Amino acid sequence: MRVEINLNGKPFAADVEPRMLLSDFIRHEACLTGTHVGCEQGGCGACTIQVDGRAVRSCLLFAIQVDGSTVRTVEALSDERDGALHPLQEAFRECHGLQCGFCTPGFLMSLEPALASGPLDDEQAIRDAISGNICRCTGYAGIVDAVRHASNTIWNDPDIGTVDDLGSLGEDAPRSGAGDE
Amino acid sequence: MKPPPFDYTAPRSLGEALRALADAAGDGKVIAGGQSLVPLMNFRFARPGLLVDVNRIPELTGIRRRDGELRIGATTRQADAEQSGIIARGWPLLRQALPHVAHQQIRNRGTVGGSVAHADPAAEICSVLLAYGGRVEVASVRGVREIDASDLFVGQFVTTIEADEILTAVVVPPPPAGTGTAFHEVARRHGDFALAGAAAAVTTDDRGRCERASLCLLGAAPTPIRRAAAEAHLVGNELTDAVLAEAVALATADIEPPSDVHGSSAYRTRAAREMAARALTEAFARSARDRGQRKEAS
Amino acid sequence: MSEMIPRLVGQRVKRVEDPRLLTGRGEYVDDVHLPRMLHVALLRSSVAHARIVGIDTAAAAELPGVHLVVTADDLRDRVQPIVCDILPPGAWQTSAYPILADGKVRFVGEPVVAVVADSRYVAEDALEAIGVSYEELPPVMTVTAAEAGPETQVHEAWDEAWFTHKQLRVGDIDRVFAEAAGVTRRSVEVGRHTGMPLETRAIIADYNPSSNALTVHMTTQMPHIMRTGLADHLGMPEHQIRVISKDVGGGFGVKAELYPEDILVSHLATRLGRPVSWVEDRREHLLGTIHAREHFYELEAAWDESGRILAVRAEIRVDGGAYSVYPYSASMEPGMAMGVLTGMYDVPVYHADSWAIATNKTPLGPYRGVARPSACFAMERLMDAVAHDTGIDPLELRRRNLVRADQMPHTTPSGLEYDSGDFEATFRKAAEILDYDATREQQEELRGEGRYLGIGVGSYVEQTAHGAAEFVKRGLPVIFGYDTSRIRIDASGNVLVHPTSHSHGQGHETTIAQVVADALGIEIERIRVVYGDTQDVAYGSGTLGSRSMVMAGGAAHLAAVELRDRLVRIAAHNLEVDPGDLEVADGEVRVKGSPATAVAITEIARWAHHRPERIPSDLEPTLEVTSSYGAPPGTGAFSHAVHMALVEVDPALGTVQVLRYVVAEDCGRIVNPMIVDGQVTGGVAQGLGGALLEEIVHDAEGQPLTTSLLDYLWPTAHDVPFVEIGHLESLSPFTIGGIKGMGEGGAIAPGAVIAGAVEDAMRPLGGGFVRKVPLTPERVLNLLNVDPTGRVPESHEENQK
Repeated sequence: MRVEINLNGKPFAADVEPRMLLSDFIRHEACLTGTHVGCEQGGCGACTIQVDGRAVRSCLLFAIQVDGSTVRTVEALSDERDGALHPLQEAFRECHGLQCGFCTPGFLMSLEPALASGPLDDEQAIRDAISGNICRCTGYAGIVDAVRHASNTIWNDPDIGTVDDLGSLGEDAPRSGAGDE
Repeated sequence: MKPPPFDYTAPRSLGEALRALADAAGDGKVIAGGQSLVPLMNFRFARPGLLVDVNRIPELTGIRRRDGELRIGATTRQADAEQSGIIARGWPLLRQALPHVAHQQIRNRGTVGGSVAHADPAAEICSVLLAYGGRVEVASVRGVREIDASDLFVGQFVTTIEADEILTAVVVPPPPAGTGTAFHEVARRHGDFALAGAAAAVTTDDRGRCERASLCLLGAAPTPIRRAAAEAHLVGNELTDAVLAEAVALATADIEPPSDVHGSSAYRTRAAREMAARALTEAFARSARDRGQRKEAS
Repeated sequence: MSEMIPRLVGQRVKRVEDPRLLTGRGEYVDDVHLPRMLHVALLRSSVAHARIVGIDTAAAAELPGVHLVVTADDLRDRVQPIVCDILPPGAWQTSAYPILADGKVRFVGEPVVAVVADSRYVAEDALEAIGVSYEELPPVMTVTAAEAGPETQVHEAWDEAWFTHKQLRVGDIDRVFAEAAGVTRRSVEVGRHTGMPLETRAIIADYNPSSNALTVHMTTQMPHIMRTGLADHLGMPEHQIRVISKDVGGGFGVKAELYPEDILVSHLATRLGRPVSWVEDRREHLLGTIHAREHFYELEAAWDESGRILAVRAEIRVDGGAYSVYPYSASMEPGMAMGVLTGMYDVPVYHADSWAIATNKTPLGPYRGVARPSACFAMERLMDAVAHDTGIDPLELRRRNLVRADQMPHTTPSGLEYDSGDFEATFRKAAEILDYDATREQQEELRGEGRYLGIGVGSYVEQTAHGAAEFVKRGLPVIFGYDTSRIRIDASGNVLVHPTSHSHGQGHETTIAQVVADALGIEIERIRVVYGDTQDVAYGSGTLGSRSMVMAGGAAHLAAVELRDRLVRIAAHNLEVDPGDLEVADGEVRVKGSPATAVAITEIARWAHHRPERIPSDLEPTLEVTSSYGAPPGTGAFSHAVHMALVEVDPALGTVQVLRYVVAEDCGRIVNPMIVDGQVTGGVAQGLGGALLEEIVHDAEGQPLTTSLLDYLWPTAHDVPFVEIGHLESLSPFTIGGIKGMGEGGAIAPGAVIAGAVEDAMRPLGGGFVRKVPLTPERVLNLLNVDPTGRVPESHEENQK
């Protein structure tokens, strides 16, 4: 079946079997290998990406289900040409929020929308936001620090500007009461 | 861990979806959020011949209040329910339970209807629906009908929804004014299925006496269970230590939760008693506080 | 030994590898896409112990998209089973781990049939079309059952249940026990769990028949050892094999073995002449990747009135699973446990027996800490028990028994040569961070409010960077005696370093660059560290046993120093000064005391490559040096640490919350404090997993009950508190720069510490002795049915799962 998506701002299409997992579609059809697969059972969060602005596990979706959707992966977070890092990525580096790096794209994609909807600097709130992502290396300390650091950078630093100026950070984030009619 | 082959359709209307499901003659399976179904397929434990994806049917989504009742479209994401002002204000027990449902990314995709239809005995949403005395709307090419939550769950992962039916909405009546609610569960890690849990909704009068009580246990049996005897014991009483102890005893006397690597039946029974006690205590306290606040306001 | 003058060493340098990993541009094995690549899926044994009666693969082979289906019959005489025996002397029984099960299966998950197909999806479809008939044998599922002499041994030719039995006898133990003021006896055990890196194992083999060249991309911590292993088992010349292991998503020891799948997939590529990929899925990982821990201890301590331990007697049994793993053998766990048991404590008389016993379970192997977490658990449980039996505060009791700083260097009863350290100071540091006395008061106060807090204490000495002497002693067939670094300065004066260590989170691209930058006197930005390709550098052991900074870092230092000397000689030749008058700093070689007379390293590099006439006649052109280093005398550098935790137990539910976790550690000279703290915290997180959450459980029939992430629970962000870390630095006299290894340490003590803390919290409620981790909520509640000596009243025994 034909799957056509907007992948990191560009159209991408391929013919695949209905059973192809979105994680395999992104990695092996679109050849964007920054999204990692750790379990294929929804238990680790390494494959987290964003579909229409929401962080979801790509191993628990069939590619065909996101036909027509906007899909965003870790590759969209930094500047494709000069490699300039997103403030969240900078914070992970500053705070030693990664070691082997395998889980890291999943954390970043979970956190990006969470940080876009408001400051995220309370320890328990940060731990809630990342509890669906497993990191086996860091013990999470560097990650929690990094989120705080990124939140301060994004929300307080006058040099960074407002969230609206950040473009992608403000887009498509789930808002309070989004499902209410 | 790759799923076996299947056919797939994503109808734009409920009618189309119902026809596809009927045509599949029992070999079809509805997929909403898929957060339970897809892992089962990846393990090849589930192998439907046809997946009917209901995510593209607009009428199945959304949270509204209608005739005082809460109506949650089946494909409403759990994360949206968690953020809903309507739910937080009117049906707080559901709001209290939702953060216990797995993790943010799962709730971003997982649906309220899907959780109910999947009928995991430890699922938070199922127990809340039962505690609130809610019901579901189901549809098939044969017509539509409603099923009371009390008639819905018949076994582990088994409901009275027929193979050709689609759960279209979850409906919850309004709790009476002055109702206090509480949701407690114990799990190995936050976000895991509960070893034991309890959902309680209690309405008290000005003197703290129980007018109405609802207590549901999760993870204690093959389905979530309402504890009528315990509820009956509470009505008309204040929550003294003795009343609580008796209610908890009535609620858990006959339960036989399953044993697994996370805990034996004996442990879960003990934990269920504790969860019931904590949920009831907190629900009574909240009801009293709510009465107090409304008195002050008036 | 060449001196290290720290400049960047010791600094919190941000990691060089991070931008690549943060942007999704790392290169893990499954990121490699080769044209015409085929995919493997494996049918694994569904039973724990059985004879294979028949295998029907006909229907599977017929499926569209299936290229090849192979069983043991197709492999015979083509590949060799994995045999890893210890060298004599030593009591030992051999096992052969087949590449595909040959006639018999010995654990659930053992590979039986391989399918090669166009996609993994199709390959898995084909698995469903394969029929295997088994004649089931009674499985041997516990060490007790194995020792009792089962109907059918795991390995039928064996006379005994064990791979190995070792003994240690130091001192007249009967006399000491007879004369002691008191004796404390306990039985303890550590549950089976495993490393569980986020990235599962994966291998892509690509064979070119025209050149008989095999290129293998694999997730491994030790590319060179794997190359030798593949060559031996495939019967291929080693120079025709290239192993590439770029980014690896966590190793923790479980990617430091040669597995049947490695040999199988490589073989399939040679048969098909096409690239063949196998990516382990998480279910396979829980079945087929080595498991760890599962130790059982019978312990006795004799003590005097002051609580001084006079002697320890130990029986140590390790459930080794079905096969001896390459390259460590099944002897490593029991041998190390016996060797390190006494830890920081000065135990003059020590008798021990240790066994690795075969069962119908997944083979056991090294996971972060190897035998140390279990041994630490055993010894610290014994110390807590002695504290209980003597009525002495557990912290005080430990202090009284420490090996003192003035006893360094110290030889333990098992023959370990502790090189340095002040254990008492480290205990003081940990107690100070926790504020031990105040925390005890707080604990007492909160008990009055019905809250149950507990304090746990644990310590260990961690032999790191073991060299030749240690591995020879263990009788291993492969002696991890050294590592190697090759350094090349190019014509532009930039530096390429190829260490034989492998980094899968440890940050070698940064820390080895720090070492080289200091030795060469240049900026770190001009240094690139590339590891993981056997073609880049001669030979070395890889990353295991907390060795890389000492061994590969030391080798990099030596190579850099030799290159520095060459730079100086070229500069001296051109400046017409004596080399002894020159120094290297800030990217130039200059005359000491007259810095204006200088030549830039970039200039010297240009000469070395393009201007041979400017090179002294006794030097060759180009700038490249390879050095190997084994940290003589090869007995290891000994790090140590004290851990303390404060926990709160919900006595109604048995749930445990870790409120604080403190580590005071000493790993010699710290190269990068940020990375050291990261390793400590990450290790503690894994240790907490083993203490509270993670356990691989089998039923009586040998079926593993923990094959999904609903059952096997790794810690989430909610389960690991911030770790409060304090550092001491006792430099090793044996290693370059005084560096000691430290990668495993954090994972060693948490089991012991949490057990002590939970026991401490439950004691006022009548809770008994904690004999086993992980402490599930149910096990915590069951402590109320155990007395402090560890005895279980009969009626409660069935609860002591």
